[in-house]
Formats: sequence, C-alpha cells, structure tokens
Amino acid sequence: MTDRDARTDIFARLQHSASGLSNNDILREQWALGSAPAPALPGSDLHEAFLTNVLKNQGTVDCAAGRVGTVKAIAAHLYANYRKHRLVASNDQRLAALPWRDGGLLPRFGSVEANEQVALSYARLGVAELGAVVTFTGKANPAANNLLPEQHVVLVDAADVVAASEQAWERIAALTEAEERPRGINFIAGPSSTADIEGQLVYGAHGPKAWHVILVGDLPDSILQQARANAGVQT
Amino acid sequence: MEQTSRNFLGNAHTALGDEARAERRDLLALFQPIMRQSAVDDFAAHEATRAHVKKVRQHTLDNLAYYLARYEEQATHNGNHVHFARDAAQMNSIVLDICQRHDAQRIAKGKSMVTEETGLNEHLARAGLDVRETDLGEYIVQQAGETPSHIVGPALHKSADEIRELFLEKHDLGERDLLETSDMVAEARQVLREHFLTADVGIIGANALIAENGYSMLVTNEGNGDLCANLPSVLIVCATIDRILPRAEDATAMLRLLVRSATGQPQTCYTSFYSGPRRAPDPDGPLETHIVLLDNERSDILDSGYREILACIRCGACLTHCPIYAGVGGHAYGSVYSGPMGSVLTPLLTSLEESAALPNACTSCGRCAEICPADIPLPDLLRDLRSEEREQRLSPLRWRFGLKMHAWLAAQPALYRLLTGLGIRALHRLARGRGRFRRLPLAGGWSSQRDFPAPQQKTFMQLYRERDRHDG
Amino acid sequence: MSERSAAQGKASGRPLVALFATCLVDLFRPSVGFASLTLLQRAGCEVVVPPEQTCCGQPAYNNGDRAAIIALAKQTIAMLEPADYVVIPSGSCAGMLSEHYPRLFDGEWHDRALAVASKTFELTSFLRDIAPLPTPEKLHPPSGKVAYHDSCAGLREMQVREQPRALLKSTCGVEVVELQQRDVCCGFGGTFCAKMPEISAKMADDKLKDAASTGATILTGGDLGCLMSLAGRAQRTGQNLEMRHVAELLVGDQDTPPVGGAD
Repeated sequence: MTDRDARTDIFARLQHSASGLSNNDILREQWALGSAPAPALPGSDLHEAFLTNVLKNQGTVDCAAGRVGTVKAIAAHLYANYRKHRLVASNDQRLAALPWRDGGLLPRFGSVEANEQVALSYARLGVAELGAVVTFTGKANPAANNLLPEQHVVLVDAADVVAASEQAWERIAALTEAEERPRGINFIAGPSSTADIEGQLVYGAHGPKAWHVILVGDLPDSILQQARANAGVQT
Repeated sequence: MEQTSRNFLGNAHTALGDEARAERRDLLALFQPIMRQSAVDDFAAHEATRAHVKKVRQHTLDNLAYYLARYEEQATHNGNHVHFARDAAQMNSIVLDICQRHDAQRIAKGKSMVTEETGLNEHLARAGLDVRETDLGEYIVQQAGETPSHIVGPALHKSADEIRELFLEKHDLGERDLLETSDMVAEARQVLREHFLTADVGIIGANALIAENGYSMLVTNEGNGDLCANLPSVLIVCATIDRILPRAEDATAMLRLLVRSATGQPQTCYTSFYSGPRRAPDPDGPLETHIVLLDNERSDILDSGYREILACIRCGACLTHCPIYAGVGGHAYGSVYSGPMGSVLTPLLTSLEESAALPNACTSCGRCAEICPADIPLPDLLRDLRSEEREQRLSPLRWRFGLKMHAWLAAQPALYRLLTGLGIRALHRLARGRGRFRRLPLAGGWSSQRDFPAPQQKTFMQLYRERDRHDG
Repeated sequence: MSERSAAQGKASGRPLVALFATCLVDLFRPSVGFASLTLLQRAGCEVVVPPEQTCCGQPAYNNGDRAAIIALAKQTIAMLEPADYVVIPSGSCAGMLSEHYPRLFDGEWHDRALAVASKTFELTSFLRDIAPLPTPEKLHPPSGKVAYHDSCAGLREMQVREQPRALLKSTCGVEVVELQQRDVCCGFGGTFCAKMPEISAKMADDKLKDAASTGATILTGGDLGCLMSLAGRAQRTGQNLEMRHVAELLVGDQDTPPVGGAD
C-alpha cells in the first residue's frame, strides 16, 4: 500500500464514522465551542502576574525602563551572576539599537556557537498565565539561541505582555499576517529541566541551565517585590 | 516491543518480588497524586477547562475527516511533505525511506509514544542506523535495553544507583564517580549534545496537530525535542490522526490540563509550535520536513464503542493514580501503554486475545476516571472489554460458568433463599466457631492470600423471617 | 415487596424504607442487616425487608454478562419501586443501583431504573442527609481508636465521605482517625480479589499498613466486601485489627465478634 492508498483508505474509514455535517455546519459548531474559561492570574496586575509566574517557573526576573536602563539591567545580571560582559545577541533590530557601551557589554550578533555561554533574545510576547515568553524562529531569533547556551536572557516589552494563551494567539495571528508564518513559535517558561532520575529536579537537562527575563517598560517600583512575594521567592 | 500481556500475572509476581522497586513505586504513588492535586487546586478553572476541552475533542473526533484534511492542506502549504500510514509497518518504512534517501546515519529522537507503538527504533536499527533517544528517561531505558515503564516518566522504575552504573558502563569517559543526580544529568547532556550536533535526521512526536494553521505542538521540559526539531537538516514528525485539534487555542487549552495532570507543574518549560522547513532568511532549522500521520486502528476505534479513548492526552495521570499500576509497575502490563489507558488501548491496538488479562487488572475503583483530564470513563470502557472477552469466550470457563450460575440463581429468589440458607448453615458448621477458613473449596483465588471470614449462623433473610414470624 | 407492606408504610405517615441488605450481609453477616434495620427505625422510618431480594448483580455486571445483569436488575427494580426510599448498607451496591442500573436500559425500563436510582441511598448518608438519626443516650464508645475505610464506590458514586464520621461522633463519641490514603482502593474489587489475588493482597497490605500506622485497633467502613477482604488478609498475615461494619458500631453492637472473629 502506498502513502496515497493509505490516505484514501483512512479518509474512507473516517467518512464512515463522520457526523455527516456540511463544512459550514462544522465551522458553525466550532464557532459555538467558544474559548476555554480564562485562567485566574495571581495578583491584581497583568505585569505583576507575568513576573510572578516566571518566578514560579524557576526563572529570575528584573524590570528596566528605557534603552540605557535595559542595557544596565542586562549588564548587572551578567556581571553579578557570571562575571561576564560578553554575550551573543540575536539579530533583532531592537537589540541592535541598544546602547551597549553604556553597560560595558560586548555583544556579538548572530547565532550562538559552541563555547558561547550567554544568549540574549527579544521576545515577541509575554504570556502572564503561563509565565512564558514567546519567540519566533528566524533571522531575528535563531532557534539555537533559545536552546544551546548555558544561560538564556530574554527581554520582553511590557506592552507585549498578554493575559492568557488565547490573547497570545490573537497577537500571533496579527503578527504573522504581516510576516510569513514563522517556522517555529516557541513558548519558553523556565530553564531546561528534568526529573527523570528518581523524580529529582535538575536544571540544564539539554538547554539553558538558567533563564532570566527582563520586563522592559515604565512599571511601578514595587512590582518586583510584589511578584516575589506572590511567588514566595526570597529576595 | 514483544507483547507479554498474556503473562500479566507472572510479570506482576516478579515485579512484586522486587522490593526496592516496589518501594519506589509506593513512594511515587504517594507523591505524584499530591503534586497533581496541588497544581489542580491552584488552577481554579480546572473543571471548567476539562469540560470545555472535552467538548472540543468530541467535536473534532465527530468531524475528524474534515479536520484531518484541513490539517493536511495547511501543513502542505507550510512546506511539509505529508504522509499517511495505515499501520505500524507502513509508518516505519516511510521513515526509513526518508532517512535512506538522505543517506542518514545518525538519528536524534525526541520522546514519542507513537514510535514506541510501531517499534520504529528497532526497525531503523536493523537497517544500520544509529538511533539515539534524547529525552533523558528514554535515553536511560534505551541504554539499558528496556522499554518505558510510564508514558511520561519512562525511567522512574530505576534507581539513581542503577543509572550511575549504567552510565559508567556505557559512556567511555574515564574515571569519574557521578555521585550526584546532577552529575549524571550533566554527563547525559554532554553525550547527547554531541549527538544533536552531528545528527542527520531528527524524529519527534506531537502533542497536537493544529488544523487551522498546520502547526504541530511539542511539549517538553528538557528541550530535547526542540533540539531534534531544530538542529538536524531533516525533521520527521510522527503522530497518530487522533492528535488533531481545530484551533491553536484548543492546543493551549488542552495544555493547561496536560501539564498539571502529567507532572503537577503549572507550565512546561518548552512548548513549541513547528510549521515546516526553514524559511529563506532563517539562520537555522531543518531544510526538509515530513509529517507521518498514522492510523494504526484509530479509524476503527473511532467507529466503535471505545471512541472516547481517542480523547486521551497521554498525561499518564491514570497510571500514577491506579493502585494496580502502582503495585506492579508499567512493565508488568507487557505492552507499550500501561495502566488504565493502556489496558483499554492495548486490546484495541493488538488483540483482545493477547491482552485479555489487562481489562481485568481493575477493581473499578474509579480513581482514574475521577482525575482523567479528558474525562474518559476508563472503568466503563474496561468493563465493556471484559464483556467482549466473555462473548468471545476468552475468559476462563470456570469464571464464566460460575458467574452465570450465580446470576441465574439470584434471579430465582425462592430457590436462592433455599440454597443459600442450607449452604450458609453448612459453612458455619464447617468453621467450627473459629470464625474463618484458611482454605475453602472453590475459593482458591481468595484463600491463596487471605483467610475467608466464616458466616454467622444463618442468613439475614432466614433470621429476619424467623423474627418477623415471632413478632407477627 | 408486597402491596401490604407498602400500604402499611403509607398508612403510618412515616417514610417507607426498603432495606436492601446486600448478598454479602445476607449470607455472611446478618448482624449488619439487623443493625441497619434498628438504625432506620430509630430514625423514624417504616422499614420493610423485601423478601425477594438476592444480589444486585455486580459480579455479573463487572464481568460483562449483560443478559444476566438485565434480568437481575429488572427483578430488583420492580421489587423496590413501591418504597419511598431504598437504603443499602453498602456504597458499592448502592452505587450499582443508582449509577449503573439506569445505564443498562433504554425506554420504559430506563425511566423505572432512574426512579429507583433517585431514591436509593447508602445507609450512613441516608441517616445523615435524609432521615437524621436522633442521638438519644450516648452509646458506650468502643475501646481503642477507630479508623474508617472509605469504599471506592461509596466515595465516588454515592458521595459518602463525612456522613459516617459525623454519625460515629454524634452517636458513639468516636473521633475517627484518618488514613493517609483515604481515596485509594483496598484491593477487594469484587471478583478482582479472586482473579488477581497477589496484586489484591498487596493493595490490602498497603491499606492495613496505613490503618496500623494510625494506631487504630478497629477499622470500620460501610462496605462488608472490603472489610471481609481486609479481615481475611489481616488474619493471614497475623495483624491485629478488628473489622466492624459502621452500622454495628452505630447501634453499639460490640457483642458480635468482628468480621472473621471466632464465635
């Protein structure tokens, strides 16, 4: 039996058990399904909820305002944790436009190579419900930069944070109308982890061992503290 | 894998005799439900989401031909080669053919129960390919020459000590002690990273196939599936036709149930949607992508009384919550899928004759149905399978006969009263006041493991009638 | 159930309760049947014991004998129809009547099964939720700690959870000690325990271990099947734990030997 024969055969079998609705009726029924109930968000504010859930997913978080502030936040994180000032930045125009010297950082733009430890991405979206950032694979963010470095640092604009997956898909649909459909849409919600040996949680199974999210925008000073309190994380 | 479900009781006996593993299973059976419950409690909308997703799945299965065609059209538009396979052998040969056309030697594989179902690894290995599982749990069982004991946690039956020994033996990396779990994880990372970077073909499964845009959803915590999907120049996605969902939002709604039920997490680390091959300006990603859509009995199941099992999202919660699974472990089932969902699916995918023991490995306690995020009435489906087993005369004759006699007698109240009255009086005398029997004819199953409580002097109905007559 | 007894109940103005004792109680432990009878009368019910009762048919049902179960179910439904309520000292058999009987039929019999299902209760939930058991003089509490074993069908099909505990507290002053894994099956499972005795024994051992670690000396519960299976296993492995049906504790019957105990 060839692929094509299999296709014919499978569709014939499926027709047998099908509801018999017309395509229009199927779509009408699909429309009537509506969306899943909206998940509750921790805290009272969208950004606070996003940061809380990133923390719950074992990420670390920071907030920054303005381009200089953003560079300084990246630099502070790299220096404090790894004593580093080199990193690989994806070819995102927003990253290219940052005043790197203000943070004393030395970025290389492109895809992460062997032995390069820190990669920086600029996310398309943040999803508060999931505590996730969303990247598209492509020139502006090679897939390798999400997966191969030891540390992944991700910026996301406060204006790009949405409440739940449903809103994320609406935004993605709007973004991809302008562009081609991206090859990959990646929801990232934590450092790579495994519990496959006796259920013990270990980070850095295959991908990054650490995941740091910087929320960029004018945000209240207390938001980080509040998010940490919500997530039960010590400062 | 070779199915050994016929020997379920023998397998179970062996498993129960291994005390260290039994103890680990007991611990998992205690903690995993607690973790799931806490995740579900934190997620206030669990029940409402469960009802919503159930409606969506029902609608999709009712109109699967439509959605499958729509998915095929969109996936093709996205640049994929879409293949259809009626059975395991056909899927395996399609995959091997793709690998051979690219002169592939090294294959990096993400976790996929479908490929376990078809025995893809053995098929590719027989043709001389180096197939490496990359999910840590799958990698461990592959190195040990075993099969997964759980659909989500494949190697949880092994101790850290066993895994340490295994790595020391299999990895030629010189003197080292691998004391900590994190050392072992780091070693597997190092070994598999090398494989990822040199693999010719990546093979992954899919948690959902989205009809409206032709994307497939891949959910992992390790990120291994993403490495398989992004690094090699050829990507093959293997999935069964029942993974189709209409809309992207349906996949993420289902995900809310999946992660909490599977691991008790609020969200998995990597949830990725892949549409096809690398676009012109892309710096990385596969150059060629294939989707293999496997039927393997699904179209028949859809047309049967068991269609609800197709709504299963493979979270593994029914395994973790089943006291029988906890008692004997996944391998005892002697099949790819174990626990309640496996006991339903295995007879449908193979044969009831080979799998007749599995639907009987159930006390109808209902715990699986209570927690199943897809709301599948697993104990009812298992009961239906037992019914078929009876009709096909696969159950032991003495059982069929005994139960038939009992039911027949119970439908003749006067005769039932007479015979049970005589029987109970005799049994009471036989117990000679000891209150129990160590052995009892016709109750060999019971009395092999337990004493049999002796009846009080007469039946309730006799005593009641005597009292009634006396009072009246 | 005869027209005469139905008429008697109606005449008295009290709710007419049909006591369905279950086959296990009928054959092995009449004391549970009498305890149930007494409790229902104390709760102000007119109780009849339909003489045609045999078995609800679970063994045949769970082993897939459709023809047999349909005959038995019809017999049972017809027998119970005249009563205002059907009360059963077993979550499992009550679950059979209220959850599973209606699924066996279409049409007229489906409606009749539903009507019976809607008035069927497990004993302790009936005494707590429908016809509250008055608490006259406090009974002499049993000596030793009491643990309660929730049967799966009671828990999941009949929503029996707090009712027996509340009754034990109000009538005997017993504060039930709780097992760690209250919602896990004890391994009885009807014919399961005879088909897969070794696995069933493992599950019983887990339950007994859980009960022992509470320090309880009495394990009570609402389902005689579970208790017989656990008692048999405890005796085989030499564990000292008395099993008594909750109805027996609630009437203060401490003279009857525990399940499987010597006369």
